Amino acid sequence: MSLIDITFYILALTTFFAGVAVIAIPNPVYSALCLAITMIGVAGLFFTLEAYFIAGVQLIVYAGAVVIMFVMVLMLFDLKHEKKAFSKGLFSMILKIGSSAVVLASIFSAIYLTISAKPRLEEVNTDAIVAAKGLALQLFTKNVFAFEVIGILLLVVLVGAIALAKGKGGTHA
Amino acid sequence: MLELEVGLSHYLVLSAALFIVGIMGVLIRKNTIVILMSIELMLNAVNITFVAFSRFLNNMDGQISVFFVMAVAAAEAAIGLAIAVAVFKRFHGINIRFFENLKG
Repeated sequence: MSLIDITFYILALTTFFAGVAVIAIPNPVYSALCLAITMIGVAGLFFTLEAYFIAGVQLIVYAGAVVIMFVMVLMLFDLKHEKKAFSKGLFSMILKIGSSAVVLASIFSAIYLTISAKPRLEEVNTDAIVAAKGLALQLFTKNVFAFEVIGILLLVVLVGAIALAKGKGGTHA
Repeated sequence: MLELEVGLSHYLVLSAALFIVGIMGVLIRKNTIVILMSIELMLNAVNITFVAFSRFLNNMDGQISVFFVMAVAAAEAAIGLAIAVAVFKRFHGINIRFFENLKG
């Protein structure tokens, strides 16, 4: 076990249990904070995978923007009376957990059946600047159309979110 | 065949586990905001898979996909939260059952 392996295990456990806490804690504010921990853990995993630029973007966009947006929206609501945080019904709960377990077992078995030989980790260029440059070259040459479409999507979302949240609420209010 | 040395399968297993946690959050929670958070968890799990494959296959395309997934996820969260705000104004609650009353 080298240092990077120990880092992976710490980050993986943190990320997984923070993710479980997101869905297990009844108070949504604590859920948002656990979501922030999960996002930071995922950014750390990206660092262990040597995707430095993606890790930075993950920290800025998710841990910065998206989680803060969740917390800001939670501040608008009065959630003290939220008693029924979980869905009711023993049978449906067993069905939901059981079907999730079946999906998880099938994914695990697929992973262990297909990835039998361990892929060799080739030595790649670990210079962060060079890696980011390669990413930018691909993004602005091969994928420039998708990049522009994403720009239009974000503009539409900007206008749409304001229009949705500004109305009186409901379409027939 | 459990190996302690970290390889591709470790990242895939972690990603699958996080994805299932997100699915269970969508299934068992009633709060719309927490359901949106669970969807973000699922998208993050997929991002881990993308970056892991990108690293182990030595190919940049996975990281490009992560880029677009992040942009779409941010857009989806913004729209979902705006709808949640609209529903809260109308029904004074954000339980998922209020979404049954949306018409048109």
